[in-house]
Amino acid sequence: MAASKSQGSYFGLFLVGATVLVGGIAGIASATGKLLMLVGVGILLAAAAGFLKIKPLEGETPVERSPEAMKWMGAGVVLLGWVVTIGGLHLVDSNGGRIVASLLGIGVSLFGMLYVLPAAFNKTAFWKTAGGRPARNGFTAVASKATLESELTGGPRAMESAR
Amino acid sequence: MTATLRKNLLSLCILAFGWAVGATAYAQAAAAPAQPPAAPASVSPATTELREAAAKAPTVADLQKGDPGGTLTGTIADVTMTDAKAGPTLADAGNQIGQNKVAINFVWTLICGFLVMFMQAGFAMVESGLTRVKNANHTYMMNFFVYGCGLLAFWLIGFAIQMGGAAGNANLGGLNPLTGEQGISLFGKTWGLFGKTGFFLAGSSYDVGVMVIFLFQMVFMDTALTIVTGACAERWKFITFSVTSVIMGALTYPLFANWAWGGGWLSQLGTNLGLGKGYADFAGSGVVHSVGGLTALAVCLIVGPRIGKFNRDGSANPIIGHDISAVLIGCFILAFGWFGFNPGSTLGASANGNLRIGTIAVATMLAGCTGTFGAILYMWIAKGKPDASMSGNGLLAGLVAITAPSGFVSAPSAAIIGLVAGVLVCVSVSFVENVLKVDDPVGAISVHGTNGLWGVLAVGLFADGTSNYGGSWNGVTGSVTGLFYGDASQLAAQLVGISTLMGVIFTLSFAINMVLEYVIGHRVSAESELNGLDIPEMGQLGYPEFVFRPEPVFAAAA
Repeated sequence: MAASKSQGSYFGLFLVGATVLVGGIAGIASATGKLLMLVGVGILLAAAAGFLKIKPLEGETPVERSPEAMKWMGAGVVLLGWVVTIGGLHLVDSNGGRIVASLLGIGVSLFGMLYVLPAAFNKTAFWKTAGGRPARNGFTAVASKATLESELTGGPRAMESAR
Repeated sequence: MTATLRKNLLSLCILAFGWAVGATAYAQAAAAPAQPPAAPASVSPATTELREAAAKAPTVADLQKGDPGGTLTGTIADVTMTDAKAGPTLADAGNQIGQNKVAINFVWTLICGFLVMFMQAGFAMVESGLTRVKNANHTYMMNFFVYGCGLLAFWLIGFAIQMGGAAGNANLGGLNPLTGEQGISLFGKTWGLFGKTGFFLAGSSYDVGVMVIFLFQMVFMDTALTIVTGACAERWKFITFSVTSVIMGALTYPLFANWAWGGGWLSQLGTNLGLGKGYADFAGSGVVHSVGGLTALAVCLIVGPRIGKFNRDGSANPIIGHDISAVLIGCFILAFGWFGFNPGSTLGASANGNLRIGTIAVATMLAGCTGTFGAILYMWIAKGKPDASMSGNGLLAGLVAITAPSGFVSAPSAAIIGLVAGVLVCVSVSFVENVLKVDDPVGAISVHGTNGLWGVLAVGLFADGTSNYGGSWNGVTGSVTGLFYGDASQLAAQLVGISTLMGVIFTLSFAINMVLEYVIGHRVSAESELNGLDIPEMGQLGYPEFVFRPEPVFAAAA
């Protein structure tokens, strides 16, 4: 679909909703503030519904569906690392112990960030399966076209030919 | 009779004249201001000296002749006096000195903020130069519009979350309206979570000092936002980029910035747990660059690599940017803007140890220099060519890494930090691309994420304990001192900061962008991507007359 009038309209609605919501948060102590918050949330939900409605119009993207649970698990592991660090601060009193606990937490977060999450997203990466699945013939056609045209290295190779 | 009449008239005239003169004199006496009271006996010698100096100051007549040497302009006559007739007092002089100090700091902070704002131009050139012609307009537009999205969000709520409880900055007059930090009591201590004053910059935050800190913090925030646009260039839907930029400027960035700079819990690690001077991040290796770099990684994972970046066996194809001159000029603009970023983070040039701005500026220059050397030498030795784009990234990596330590380290330490960053960025780019299989067209994850974290760590290692910003940092007396200079607890505080950046900020960014993936979708269609995003997303080519000739024509021409 690319950019469209609908996108612009719903983005405008999103900005209005956000502004009203913040107005409500700023005056949260008053009844007006609470009302504004509710109105703001309502407008934001309307904008979200609009975005959801026009999402399929974008057309076929190259990204394949990948395991959602694994993605969220990866994010959970990253967060767990922070919990380990904070827990360590309160369980250990010495500087050395706190440094070790923090390093342990960082290690856990890195495991989630650099191993679990990439594995989740790359499990069904489109570049592994280009030209494969019947259900994605449309994409396969354009991806193959891209490969054949060597658009990535087209410029430099053209220069080599010129030489 | 006539003579008598004349005599009487003469007497009457004399009487009238006498009355008139007397009345005028009386009226003048009544209208004239009271004579300056005689100096009371309690006037101090200093005040007397001030008044004598005022009496000797050049007069208007002197100044009307011109002052080519500048020796007559700017004297005690220019001091604002509460009672001009009485002359200057010690209180007048003291008030003027105080206002001069704050004025110098206002001007310094504002000008540095203007420099940081100009970095947006550098980012736009670097990112667009490293992408292909068919996406130039789209990439430039993301860099352009991120400024507006971030500014709007920060004005609405981001500033309140970040700085709503940041009162007490002596450099900028106290920032006294910003007193609303929401805390939580845990383990017998109160920990700051987020600010809650300054929404819309209205009410009590309609204050001269608050406006200055808003401008300065806003341009920092926008720097973090624009990091993501480079990492996700050439396949990111403009609408999703716009929405996520607003959310990042409103929530993700301000939250961590509050914890580090706004009186939040990371800055309280020193006062509450005795960890050094608390989390110390002078100009934002963590707050700005790591937040941007880690968010870039989260969005890059979700949006996926560009078509053609990876082959079926997982090997990566180089995708050449369209304008290396834009890249390198952009890097210079960024290096120039960094003189606002780091020295400006003193938030003043007068008092409270702010004369260290020269040291900070030199540390910034040196780290950028050694970062460039690190990257050039690494690429030259390992790959055979001093790669231009990696050289630019080396410069930026050095600058990113020195951003947090710049206020606390010596020149030799800055050079070492930059050199490590220059090598680290090359290794990290290769790791992200070849091991993680994450496509980052400009190397933003490595430049800002990896080296931002390195900068935060470097504070805990290299801070030499010589800085003195008003005698304390984060409410803890003394100077920030790293492990190599004897304080291991500062390293612990920095590691907690790194863990928070990865564990909380990355996860929060990831969760927000996953929700946006479900609702809006991050990725453009394959067709749009292959045709280039300029027409489908922007409706206009970046370079309408720039047409590639097919290869055979090229060959024939040769």
